[in-house]
Amino acid sequence: MFSLSYFLQQSMNGIILGCIYALLALGMTVVYGILRLINFAHGALITLGAFFMYFVFFRLGLPFVAALFLVLGFGGVMGLVLDLVAYRKLRGGPEVALLITSLGFYTFIENFTKLIVSPQPYAFKTPEFLATLYRTPYLTFRTVDVFIILSSLLIMLAFHFFVKRTKLGIAMRATAENLEVANLMGIEVNRVISVAFVLGSAIAAFTGFLWGAKYGQISYDMGFLTGVKAFVAVVVGGVGSIPGAMLGGFVLGLAEILSIAFLPTRFAEYRDGIVFAILVLVLLIRPSGIMGIREEVRV
Amino acid sequence: MGQVISLLKVEKVTVKYGVIPAIQELELEVERGQIVALLGANGAGKTTTLKTIMGVLRPARGRIFYDGKDITFLPAPQRVRLGVALVPEGRGIFNRLTVRENLLLGAYHRKDQGGILQDLEEVYRLFPRLKERENQIAGTLSGGEQQMLAIGRGLMSRPRLMLLDEPSLGLAPLVVRELYTLIRRIRESGVTILLVEQSAPMAIGIADYVYVLETGVVKIAGTPREVESLEEVKKVYLGG
Repeated sequence: MFSLSYFLQQSMNGIILGCIYALLALGMTVVYGILRLINFAHGALITLGAFFMYFVFFRLGLPFVAALFLVLGFGGVMGLVLDLVAYRKLRGGPEVALLITSLGFYTFIENFTKLIVSPQPYAFKTPEFLATLYRTPYLTFRTVDVFIILSSLLIMLAFHFFVKRTKLGIAMRATAENLEVANLMGIEVNRVISVAFVLGSAIAAFTGFLWGAKYGQISYDMGFLTGVKAFVAVVVGGVGSIPGAMLGGFVLGLAEILSIAFLPTRFAEYRDGIVFAILVLVLLIRPSGIMGIREEVRV
Repeated sequence: MGQVISLLKVEKVTVKYGVIPAIQELELEVERGQIVALLGANGAGKTTTLKTIMGVLRPARGRIFYDGKDITFLPAPQRVRLGVALVPEGRGIFNRLTVRENLLLGAYHRKDQGGILQDLEEVYRLFPRLKERENQIAGTLSGGEQQMLAIGRGLMSRPRLMLLDEPSLGLAPLVVRELYTLIRRIRESGVTILLVEQSAPMAIGIADYVYVLETGVVKIAGTPREVESLEEVKKVYLGG
Protein backbone atom coordinates (compact mmCIF):
# COMPACT_ATOMS: atom_id res chain seq x y z
CA MET A 1 0.00 0.00 0.00
CA PHE A 2 1.03 3.58 -0.57
CA SER A 3 1.60 5.48 2.63
CA LEU A 4 0.74 9.08 3.41
CA SER A 5 4.40 9.97 3.52
CA TYR A 6 4.87 8.48 0.05
CA PHE A 7 2.00 10.59 -1.23
CA LEU A 8 3.37 13.76 0.38
CA GLN A 9 6.83 13.03 -0.90
CA GLN A 10 5.62 12.58 -4.45
CA SER A 11 3.37 15.61 -4.22
CA MET A 12 6.35 17.71 -3.27
CA ASN A 13 8.25 16.37 -6.25
CA GLY A 14 5.25 17.18 -8.41
CA ILE A 15 5.05 20.71 -7.07
CA ILE A 16 8.75 21.22 -7.76
CA LEU A 17 8.43 20.03 -11.34
CA GLY A 18 5.30 22.19 -11.51
CA CYS A 19 7.34 25.21 -10.42
CA ILE A 20 9.72 24.61 -13.31
CA TYR A 21 6.92 24.25 -15.84
CA ALA A 22 5.10 27.25 -14.41
CA LEU A 23 8.16 29.50 -14.64
CA LEU A 24 8.70 28.51 -18.26
CA ALA A 25 5.01 28.81 -19.08
CA LEU A 26 5.05 32.38 -17.79
CA GLY A 27 7.46 33.54 -20.47
CA MET A 28 5.76 31.52 -23.16
CA THR A 29 2.26 32.72 -22.45
CA VAL A 30 3.25 36.38 -22.47
CA VAL A 31 4.98 36.05 -25.82
CA TYR A 32 2.18 33.92 -27.22
CA GLY A 33 -0.41 36.39 -25.97
CA ILE A 34 1.16 39.23 -27.93
CA LEU A 35 2.59 37.57 -31.03
CA ARG A 36 0.64 34.31 -31.32
CA LEU A 37 4.03 32.69 -31.39
CA ILE A 38 4.68 29.29 -29.87
CA ASN A 39 8.23 30.10 -28.95
CA PHE A 40 10.08 26.78 -29.10
CA ALA A 41 13.32 28.67 -28.66
CA HIS A 42 12.13 29.40 -25.14
CA GLY A 43 13.09 25.84 -24.24
CA ALA A 44 16.63 26.45 -25.47
CA LEU A 45 16.98 29.17 -22.88
CA ILE A 46 16.82 26.69 -20.02
CA THR A 47 19.61 24.68 -21.63
CA LEU A 48 21.70 27.80 -22.10
CA GLY A 49 20.92 29.02 -18.59
CA ALA A 50 21.89 25.68 -17.09
CA PHE A 51 25.23 25.53 -18.90
CA PHE A 52 25.94 29.18 -18.26
CA MET A 53 25.43 28.60 -14.54
CA TYR A 54 27.63 25.55 -14.74
CA PHE A 55 30.47 27.60 -16.14
CA VAL A 56 30.23 30.74 -14.06
CA PHE A 57 29.51 28.98 -10.78
CA PHE A 58 31.38 25.68 -10.94
CA ARG A 59 34.15 26.45 -13.38
CA LEU A 60 34.83 30.12 -12.70
CA GLY A 61 33.83 29.76 -9.07
CA LEU A 62 31.94 33.04 -8.82
CA PRO A 63 29.89 33.61 -5.68
CA PHE A 64 26.44 32.03 -5.90
CA VAL A 65 24.41 35.23 -5.82
CA ALA A 66 26.63 36.89 -8.42
CA ALA A 67 26.32 33.80 -10.63
CA LEU A 68 22.53 33.87 -10.29
CA PHE A 69 22.32 37.48 -11.37
CA LEU A 70 24.66 36.77 -14.25
CA VAL A 71 22.40 33.93 -15.36
CA LEU A 72 19.37 36.19 -15.22
CA GLY A 73 21.21 38.87 -17.17
CA PHE A 74 22.50 36.38 -19.70
CA GLY A 75 19.00 34.98 -20.26
CA GLY A 76 17.62 38.47 -20.67
CA VAL A 77 20.24 39.41 -23.25
CA MET A 78 19.64 36.17 -25.15
CA GLY A 79 15.91 36.90 -25.17
CA LEU A 80 16.53 40.36 -26.57
CA VAL A 81 18.86 38.97 -29.23
CA LEU A 82 16.27 36.37 -30.23
CA ASP A 83 13.59 39.04 -30.50
CA LEU A 84 15.75 41.36 -32.58
CA VAL A 85 17.46 38.77 -34.78
CA ALA A 86 14.81 36.13 -35.19
CA TYR A 87 11.38 37.62 -34.80
CA ARG A 88 11.20 41.38 -35.23
CA LYS A 89 11.54 41.35 -39.00
CA LEU A 90 8.78 38.78 -39.31
CA ARG A 91 6.10 40.81 -37.60
CA GLY A 92 3.08 41.37 -39.74
CA GLY A 93 3.87 38.24 -41.71
CA PRO A 94 2.04 34.96 -41.35
CA GLU A 95 2.13 33.45 -37.87
CA VAL A 96 3.47 30.18 -39.23
CA ALA A 97 6.66 31.96 -40.31
CA LEU A 98 7.28 32.90 -36.68
CA LEU A 99 6.59 29.35 -35.58
CA ILE A 100 9.02 27.80 -38.04
CA THR A 101 11.65 30.39 -37.17
CA SER A 102 11.34 29.57 -33.49
CA LEU A 103 11.72 25.88 -34.25
CA GLY A 104 14.74 26.72 -36.39
CA PHE A 105 16.35 28.78 -33.66
CA TYR A 106 15.67 26.08 -31.12
CA THR A 107 17.42 23.55 -33.33
CA PHE A 108 20.29 25.91 -33.99
CA ILE A 109 20.86 26.63 -30.31
CA GLU A 110 20.59 22.96 -29.41
CA ASN A 111 23.13 21.94 -32.04
CA PHE A 112 25.39 24.82 -31.15
CA THR A 113 25.32 23.79 -27.50
CA LYS A 114 26.09 20.22 -28.49
CA LEU A 115 29.07 21.44 -30.48
CA ILE A 116 30.43 23.72 -27.77
CA VAL A 117 29.88 21.61 -24.66
CA SER A 118 29.47 17.98 -25.54
CA PRO A 119 26.84 15.53 -26.69
CA GLN A 120 27.25 13.89 -23.28
CA PRO A 121 25.22 15.11 -20.34
CA TYR A 122 27.08 17.03 -17.65
CA ALA A 123 26.79 16.19 -14.00
CA PHE A 124 25.43 19.27 -12.23
CA LYS A 125 26.21 19.21 -8.55
CA THR A 126 23.75 20.85 -6.23
CA PRO A 127 25.63 23.76 -4.62
CA GLU A 128 26.76 22.57 -1.22
CA PHE A 129 24.70 24.94 0.89
CA LEU A 130 21.58 23.74 -0.96
CA ALA A 131 22.34 20.06 -0.48
CA THR A 132 21.57 19.70 3.22
CA LEU A 133 19.16 16.86 3.79
CA TYR A 134 16.25 17.15 6.22
CA ARG A 135 14.27 14.20 7.48
CA THR A 136 10.85 14.60 9.06
CA PRO A 137 8.37 11.79 9.77
CA TYR A 138 6.42 12.54 6.60
CA LEU A 139 8.82 14.23 4.30
CA THR A 140 12.46 14.06 3.34
CA PHE A 141 13.82 17.04 1.48
CA ARG A 142 16.89 19.04 0.69
CA THR A 143 17.43 22.79 0.96
CA VAL A 144 17.33 22.98 -2.82
CA ASP A 145 13.68 21.86 -2.80
CA VAL A 146 12.77 24.73 -0.50
CA PHE A 147 14.88 27.06 -2.60
CA ILE A 148 13.06 26.08 -5.79
CA ILE A 149 9.60 26.48 -4.31
CA LEU A 150 10.35 29.80 -2.61
CA SER A 151 12.23 31.36 -5.50
CA SER A 152 9.52 30.26 -7.94
CA LEU A 153 6.78 31.73 -5.81
CA LEU A 154 8.76 34.92 -5.46
CA ILE A 155 9.26 35.23 -9.21
CA MET A 156 5.59 34.50 -9.90
CA LEU A 157 4.47 37.08 -7.35
CA ALA A 158 6.86 39.65 -8.75
CA PHE A 159 5.65 38.94 -12.26
CA HIS A 160 2.04 39.18 -11.18
CA PHE A 161 2.77 42.52 -9.54
CA PHE A 162 4.56 43.67 -12.68
CA VAL A 163 1.67 42.97 -15.06
CA LYS A 164 -1.03 44.16 -12.69
CA ARG A 165 0.47 47.23 -11.14
CA THR A 166 3.17 48.76 -13.29
CA LYS A 167 2.58 50.97 -16.28
CA LEU A 168 4.70 48.77 -18.51
CA GLY A 169 2.89 45.66 -17.28
CA ILE A 170 -0.52 47.16 -18.03
CA ALA A 171 0.78 48.19 -21.44
CA MET A 172 1.91 44.61 -21.97
CA ARG A 173 -1.56 43.24 -21.26
CA ALA A 174 -3.06 45.89 -23.52
CA THR A 175 -0.67 44.95 -26.31
CA ALA A 176 -1.57 41.31 -25.88
CA GLU A 177 -5.23 42.11 -26.26
CA ASN A 178 -5.02 44.52 -29.18
CA LEU A 179 -1.70 45.44 -30.66
CA GLU A 180 -3.05 47.99 -33.09
CA VAL A 181 -4.98 49.95 -30.50
CA ALA A 182 -2.03 49.75 -28.11
CA ASN A 183 -0.01 51.46 -30.81
CA LEU A 184 -2.69 54.16 -30.99
CA MET A 185 -2.25 54.79 -27.28
CA GLY A 186 1.34 55.77 -27.91
CA ILE A 187 2.66 52.47 -26.61
CA GLU A 188 5.83 51.47 -28.45
CA VAL A 189 4.75 47.91 -28.98
CA ASN A 190 8.15 46.74 -30.16
CA ARG A 191 9.62 47.84 -26.87
CA VAL A 192 6.89 46.07 -24.95
CA ILE A 193 7.52 42.89 -26.93
CA SER A 194 11.25 43.09 -26.24
CA VAL A 195 10.56 43.45 -22.54
CA ALA A 196 8.36 40.35 -22.69
CA PHE A 197 11.18 38.40 -24.32
CA VAL A 198 13.79 39.69 -21.90
CA LEU A 199 11.78 38.88 -18.77
CA GLY A 200 10.59 35.49 -20.02
CA SER A 201 14.06 34.47 -21.12
CA ALA A 202 15.73 35.60 -17.91
CA ILE A 203 13.26 33.49 -15.97
CA ALA A 204 13.84 30.54 -18.32
CA ALA A 205 17.62 30.73 -17.88
CA PHE A 206 17.16 30.79 -14.11
CA THR A 207 14.88 27.76 -14.44
CA GLY A 208 17.75 25.96 -16.17
CA PHE A 209 19.76 26.35 -13.00
CA LEU A 210 16.87 25.04 -10.88
CA TRP A 211 16.62 22.03 -13.14
CA GLY A 212 20.31 21.24 -12.83
CA ALA A 213 20.35 21.76 -9.07
CA LYS A 214 17.34 19.50 -8.59
CA TYR A 215 17.96 16.68 -11.05
CA GLY A 216 21.75 16.72 -11.04
CA GLN A 217 22.22 16.49 -14.76
CA ILE A 218 22.10 18.87 -17.68
CA SER A 219 22.36 18.14 -21.37
CA TYR A 220 22.26 19.97 -24.67
CA ASP A 221 18.76 18.66 -25.45
CA MET A 222 17.16 19.14 -22.04
CA GLY A 223 15.17 22.13 -23.29
CA PHE A 224 13.10 20.60 -26.01
CA LEU A 225 10.54 18.44 -24.29
CA THR A 226 10.59 20.70 -21.25
CA GLY A 227 9.74 23.64 -23.48
CA VAL A 228 6.99 21.75 -25.24
CA LYS A 229 5.52 20.69 -21.91
CA ALA A 230 5.64 24.26 -20.70
CA PHE A 231 3.57 25.17 -23.68
CA VAL A 232 1.18 22.36 -22.83
CA ALA A 233 0.92 24.00 -19.41
CA VAL A 234 0.03 27.27 -21.14
CA VAL A 235 -2.74 25.59 -23.10
CA VAL A 236 -4.04 23.55 -20.17
CA GLY A 237 -4.15 26.65 -17.97
CA GLY A 238 -5.81 28.72 -20.65
CA VAL A 239 -4.03 30.56 -23.42
CA GLY A 240 -3.63 34.24 -22.70
CA SER A 241 -4.08 33.91 -18.97
CA ILE A 242 -0.98 34.46 -16.85
CA PRO A 243 -2.40 32.90 -13.67
CA GLY A 244 -3.65 30.12 -15.96
CA ALA A 245 -0.13 29.42 -17.21
CA MET A 246 1.16 29.08 -13.66
CA LEU A 247 -1.76 26.88 -12.64
CA GLY A 248 -1.27 24.78 -15.77
CA GLY A 249 2.37 24.30 -14.82
CA PHE A 250 1.46 22.96 -11.41
CA VAL A 251 -1.32 20.74 -12.75
CA LEU A 252 1.08 19.27 -15.25
CA GLY A 253 3.96 18.77 -12.82
CA LEU A 254 1.74 17.13 -10.22
CA ALA A 255 -0.03 14.93 -12.75
CA GLU A 256 3.22 13.81 -14.31
CA ILE A 257 4.88 12.87 -11.04
CA LEU A 258 1.80 11.40 -9.33
CA SER A 259 0.88 9.30 -12.31
CA ILE A 260 4.29 7.67 -12.37
CA ALA A 261 4.26 7.34 -8.61
CA PHE A 262 0.94 5.56 -8.44
CA LEU A 263 0.83 3.67 -11.70
CA PRO A 264 2.62 0.31 -11.95
CA THR A 265 6.35 0.80 -12.56
CA ARG A 266 6.23 -0.27 -16.16
CA PHE A 267 4.26 2.89 -17.03
CA ALA A 268 7.04 5.18 -15.83
CA GLU A 269 8.67 5.38 -19.22
CA TYR A 270 5.43 6.74 -20.65
CA ARG A 271 5.39 9.88 -18.53
CA ASP A 272 5.56 12.15 -21.56
CA GLY A 273 2.62 10.39 -23.11
CA ILE A 274 0.70 10.88 -19.88
CA VAL A 275 1.33 14.62 -20.00
CA PHE A 276 -0.08 14.89 -23.48
CA ALA A 277 -3.04 12.69 -22.58
CA ILE A 278 -3.85 15.24 -19.86
CA LEU A 279 -3.69 17.97 -22.48
CA VAL A 280 -6.17 16.18 -24.70
CA LEU A 281 -8.46 15.44 -21.78
CA VAL A 282 -8.52 18.99 -20.46
CA LEU A 283 -9.14 20.40 -23.91
CA LEU A 284 -12.00 17.97 -24.50
CA ILE A 285 -13.71 19.14 -21.34
CA ARG A 286 -12.69 22.80 -21.46
CA PRO A 287 -11.52 23.78 -24.93
CA SER A 288 -10.21 27.13 -23.75
CA GLY A 289 -8.25 25.69 -20.84
CA ILE A 290 -8.84 25.87 -17.13
CA MET A 291 -8.74 29.66 -16.82
CA GLY A 292 -8.89 30.55 -20.46
CA ILE A 293 -10.73 33.46 -21.97
CA ARG A 294 -12.70 32.42 -24.99
CA GLU A 295 -10.97 33.75 -28.05
CA GLU A 296 -13.04 36.23 -29.96
CA VAL A 297 -13.12 35.58 -33.64
CA ARG A 298 -10.41 37.72 -35.16
CA VAL A 299 -11.68 39.68 -38.10
CA MET B 1 -0.64 89.53 -42.75
CA GLY B 2 0.47 85.96 -42.17
CA GLN B 3 -1.87 83.23 -43.14
CA VAL B 4 -3.28 81.20 -40.25
CA ILE B 5 -1.98 77.64 -40.37
CA SER B 6 -4.72 75.08 -39.97
CA LEU B 7 -4.27 72.41 -37.32
CA LEU B 8 -4.51 69.61 -39.83
CA LYS B 9 -3.95 69.64 -43.53
CA VAL B 10 -4.18 66.56 -45.69
CA GLU B 11 -2.64 67.24 -49.06
CA LYS B 12 -3.40 65.03 -52.08
CA VAL B 13 -3.07 61.83 -50.09
CA THR B 14 -3.45 58.46 -51.76
CA VAL B 15 -3.52 55.29 -49.69
CA LYS B 16 -3.51 51.85 -51.24
CA TYR B 17 -4.31 48.40 -49.96
CA GLY B 18 -2.08 46.40 -52.25
CA VAL B 19 -2.69 47.99 -55.64
CA ILE B 20 -6.22 49.10 -54.91
CA PRO B 21 -6.45 52.71 -53.79
CA ALA B 22 -8.69 53.20 -50.74
CA ILE B 23 -8.45 56.97 -50.90
CA GLN B 24 -7.20 59.05 -53.79
CA GLU B 25 -5.72 62.54 -53.86
CA LEU B 26 -7.65 63.36 -50.75
CA GLU B 27 -7.63 67.00 -49.65
CA LEU B 28 -8.90 67.94 -46.25
CA GLU B 29 -8.34 70.73 -43.77
CA VAL B 30 -9.31 71.16 -40.14
CA GLU B 31 -9.07 74.56 -38.45
CA ARG B 32 -8.37 74.97 -34.76
CA GLY B 33 -11.42 74.69 -32.52
CA GLN B 34 -13.63 73.32 -35.26
CA ILE B 35 -15.69 70.20 -35.50
CA VAL B 36 -15.26 68.85 -38.99
CA ALA B 37 -17.52 66.04 -40.13
CA LEU B 38 -16.34 63.43 -42.60
CA LEU B 39 -19.30 61.57 -44.05
CA GLY B 40 -19.71 58.76 -46.50
CA ALA B 41 -21.11 55.32 -47.06
CA ASN B 42 -19.48 52.09 -45.98
CA GLY B 43 -16.21 51.62 -47.83
CA ALA B 44 -15.90 55.26 -48.85
CA GLY B 45 -12.51 55.46 -47.17
CA LYS B 46 -13.39 57.28 -43.95
CA THR B 47 -11.61 54.94 -41.57
CA THR B 48 -8.65 54.75 -43.93
CA THR B 49 -8.42 58.53 -43.83
CA LEU B 50 -8.39 58.60 -40.03
CA LYS B 51 -5.85 55.79 -39.77
CA THR B 52 -3.60 57.61 -42.20
CA ILE B 53 -3.86 60.84 -40.23
CA MET B 54 -3.02 58.84 -37.13
CA GLY B 55 -0.02 57.15 -38.74
CA VAL B 56 -1.31 53.60 -38.70
CA LEU B 57 -1.42 53.53 -42.50
CA ARG B 58 1.21 54.99 -44.80
CA PRO B 59 0.18 57.08 -47.77
CA ALA B 60 1.53 56.06 -51.15
CA ARG B 61 1.49 59.70 -52.19
CA GLY B 62 0.73 63.04 -50.63
CA ARG B 63 1.55 64.90 -47.43
CA ILE B 64 -0.01 65.38 -44.04
CA PHE B 65 0.67 68.52 -42.03
CA TYR B 66 -0.16 68.91 -38.37
CA ASP B 67 0.21 72.34 -36.86
CA GLY B 68 2.33 73.27 -39.84
CA LYS B 69 4.71 70.34 -39.42
CA ASP B 70 5.03 67.57 -41.98
CA ILE B 71 4.07 64.38 -40.12
CA THR B 72 3.57 62.15 -43.16
CA PHE B 73 6.16 59.61 -42.03
CA LEU B 74 5.90 59.96 -38.28
CA PRO B 75 4.91 56.72 -36.47
CA ALA B 76 1.64 56.67 -34.54
CA PRO B 77 3.09 56.78 -31.00
CA GLN B 78 4.90 60.01 -31.84
CA ARG B 79 1.75 61.56 -33.25
CA VAL B 80 0.07 60.78 -29.93
CA ARG B 81 2.81 62.81 -28.28
CA LEU B 82 2.07 65.71 -30.59
CA GLY B 83 -1.55 65.69 -29.48
CA VAL B 84 -3.40 63.57 -32.02
CA ALA B 85 -5.78 60.95 -30.61
CA LEU B 86 -7.86 58.42 -32.49
CA VAL B 87 -10.95 56.93 -30.90
CA PRO B 88 -11.23 53.85 -33.07
CA GLU B 89 -14.30 52.43 -34.70
CA GLY B 90 -16.02 49.77 -32.66
CA ARG B 91 -14.48 51.55 -29.65
CA GLY B 92 -11.32 49.44 -29.50
CA ILE B 93 -11.23 49.48 -25.74
CA PHE B 94 -9.21 46.85 -23.90
CA ASN B 95 -11.94 44.43 -22.83
CA ARG B 96 -9.85 42.52 -20.31
CA LEU B 97 -8.51 45.59 -18.55
CA THR B 98 -10.35 47.62 -15.97
CA VAL B 99 -11.97 50.94 -16.79
CA ARG B 100 -9.28 52.76 -14.86
CA GLU B 101 -6.47 50.87 -16.59
CA ASN B 102 -7.99 51.73 -19.96
CA LEU B 103 -8.09 55.39 -19.06
CA LEU B 104 -4.55 55.42 -17.72
CA LEU B 105 -3.29 53.84 -20.94
CA GLY B 106 -4.66 56.86 -22.76
CA ALA B 107 -2.08 58.88 -20.86
CA TYR B 108 0.67 56.34 -21.50
CA HIS B 109 3.13 58.77 -23.06
CA ARG B 110 2.69 61.39 -20.36
CA LYS B 111 5.04 61.78 -17.44
CA ASP B 112 3.16 64.36 -15.37
CA GLN B 113 1.67 62.07 -12.75
CA GLY B 114 -0.23 64.91 -11.08
CA GLY B 115 -1.72 66.08 -14.35
CA ILE B 116 -2.74 62.56 -15.26
CA LEU B 117 -4.68 62.06 -12.02
CA GLN B 118 -6.25 65.46 -12.44
CA ASP B 119 -7.38 64.57 -15.96
CA LEU B 120 -8.67 61.25 -14.68
CA GLU B 121 -10.90 63.12 -12.26
CA GLU B 122 -11.94 65.41 -15.10
CA VAL B 123 -12.94 62.41 -17.26
CA TYR B 124 -14.85 60.93 -14.33
CA ARG B 125 -16.66 64.24 -13.91
CA LEU B 126 -17.56 64.17 -17.58
CA PHE B 127 -18.63 60.51 -17.44
CA PRO B 128 -19.83 59.77 -13.90
CA ARG B 129 -20.76 56.21 -14.85
CA LEU B 130 -17.12 55.44 -15.57
CA LYS B 131 -16.24 56.50 -12.06
CA GLU B 132 -18.83 54.07 -10.67
CA ARG B 133 -17.36 51.27 -12.76
CA GLU B 134 -13.74 52.27 -12.24
CA ASN B 135 -12.49 48.83 -11.22
CA GLN B 136 -14.80 46.84 -13.42
CA ILE B 137 -13.47 44.92 -16.43
CA ALA B 138 -14.20 47.09 -19.45
CA GLY B 139 -15.68 44.21 -21.44
CA THR B 140 -18.64 44.15 -19.05
CA LEU B 141 -19.73 47.72 -19.84
CA SER B 142 -22.73 48.50 -22.03
CA GLY B 143 -22.16 49.69 -25.58
CA GLY B 144 -22.77 53.32 -24.65
CA GLU B 145 -20.45 53.11 -21.66
CA GLN B 146 -17.75 51.53 -23.79
CA GLN B 147 -18.00 54.42 -26.23
CA MET B 148 -17.72 56.89 -23.34
CA LEU B 149 -14.68 54.97 -22.12
CA ALA B 150 -13.06 55.10 -25.55
CA ILE B 151 -13.60 58.85 -25.73
CA GLY B 152 -12.48 59.33 -22.14
CA ARG B 153 -9.35 57.37 -22.89
CA GLY B 154 -8.74 59.58 -25.90
CA LEU B 155 -9.06 62.66 -23.70
CA MET B 156 -6.50 61.26 -21.26
CA SER B 157 -3.79 61.87 -23.83
CA ARG B 158 -4.62 65.59 -23.67
CA PRO B 159 -5.21 65.78 -27.37
CA ARG B 160 -5.38 68.91 -29.46
CA LEU B 161 -6.92 66.99 -32.32
CA MET B 162 -9.34 64.18 -31.67
CA LEU B 163 -10.31 61.79 -34.44
CA LEU B 164 -13.64 60.09 -33.74
CA ASP B 165 -14.46 57.08 -35.90
CA GLU B 166 -18.22 56.44 -36.04
CA PRO B 167 -18.86 57.03 -32.36
CA SER B 168 -22.62 56.59 -32.73
CA LEU B 169 -22.34 53.16 -34.33
CA GLY B 170 -24.63 50.65 -32.65
CA LEU B 171 -25.86 53.03 -29.96
CA ALA B 172 -29.48 53.75 -29.09
CA PRO B 173 -30.76 57.17 -30.28
CA LEU B 174 -30.99 58.50 -26.75
CA VAL B 175 -27.39 57.53 -26.05
CA VAL B 176 -26.29 59.09 -29.34
CA ARG B 177 -27.86 62.39 -28.31
CA GLU B 178 -26.01 62.26 -25.01
CA LEU B 179 -22.82 61.47 -26.89
CA TYR B 180 -23.18 64.47 -29.15
CA THR B 181 -23.72 66.77 -26.20
CA LEU B 182 -20.42 65.48 -24.90
CA ILE B 183 -18.65 65.99 -28.20
CA ARG B 184 -19.79 69.59 -28.09
CA ARG B 185 -18.46 70.01 -24.59
CA ILE B 186 -15.14 68.51 -25.59
CA ARG B 187 -14.85 71.03 -28.38
CA GLU B 188 -15.72 73.83 -25.98
CA SER B 189 -12.81 72.74 -23.81
CA GLY B 190 -10.53 73.54 -26.72
CA VAL B 191 -10.12 70.22 -28.51
CA THR B 192 -10.44 70.21 -32.29
CA ILE B 193 -12.49 67.32 -33.62
CA LEU B 194 -12.58 65.39 -36.85
CA LEU B 195 -15.75 63.35 -36.72
CA VAL B 196 -16.40 60.42 -39.03
CA GLU B 197 -19.99 59.26 -39.28
CA GLN B 198 -22.18 57.23 -41.52
CA SER B 199 -25.40 58.70 -40.17
CA ALA B 200 -25.35 62.28 -41.31
CA PRO B 201 -28.04 64.43 -39.66
CA MET B 202 -26.48 64.61 -36.19
CA ALA B 203 -22.99 65.07 -37.56
CA ILE B 204 -24.01 67.86 -39.92
CA GLY B 205 -25.88 69.47 -37.08
CA ILE B 206 -22.80 69.70 -34.92
CA ALA B 207 -20.14 70.42 -37.55
CA ASP B 208 -18.51 73.65 -38.69
CA TYR B 209 -17.47 72.12 -41.96
CA VAL B 210 -18.46 68.96 -43.80
CA TYR B 211 -16.69 66.65 -46.23
CA VAL B 212 -18.49 63.86 -48.06
CA LEU B 213 -16.38 60.97 -49.30
CA GLU B 214 -17.34 58.64 -52.08
CA THR B 215 -15.15 55.70 -53.08
CA GLY B 216 -12.05 57.35 -51.75
CA VAL B 217 -12.57 60.78 -53.24
CA VAL B 218 -13.91 63.99 -51.69
CA LYS B 219 -17.21 64.42 -53.45
CA ILE B 220 -18.62 67.39 -51.58
CA ALA B 221 -17.11 69.92 -49.22
CA GLY B 222 -18.77 72.88 -47.60
CA THR B 223 -20.40 74.41 -44.57
CA PRO B 224 -23.31 72.48 -43.10
CA ARG B 225 -25.77 74.90 -44.66
CA GLU B 226 -24.25 74.53 -48.13
CA VAL B 227 -24.09 70.78 -47.86
CA GLU B 228 -27.58 70.36 -46.47
CA SER B 229 -29.13 72.21 -49.36
CA LEU B 230 -27.64 69.88 -51.97
CA GLU B 231 -30.19 67.55 -53.50
CA GLU B 232 -27.95 64.46 -53.50
CA VAL B 233 -27.03 64.91 -49.87
CA LYS B 234 -30.70 65.20 -48.98
CA LYS B 235 -31.47 62.05 -50.89
CA VAL B 236 -28.60 59.87 -49.84
CA TYR B 237 -27.63 61.04 -46.38
CA LEU B 238 -30.57 62.81 -44.89
CA GLY B 239 -33.23 60.34 -45.92
CA GLY B 240 -35.44 62.58 -48.02
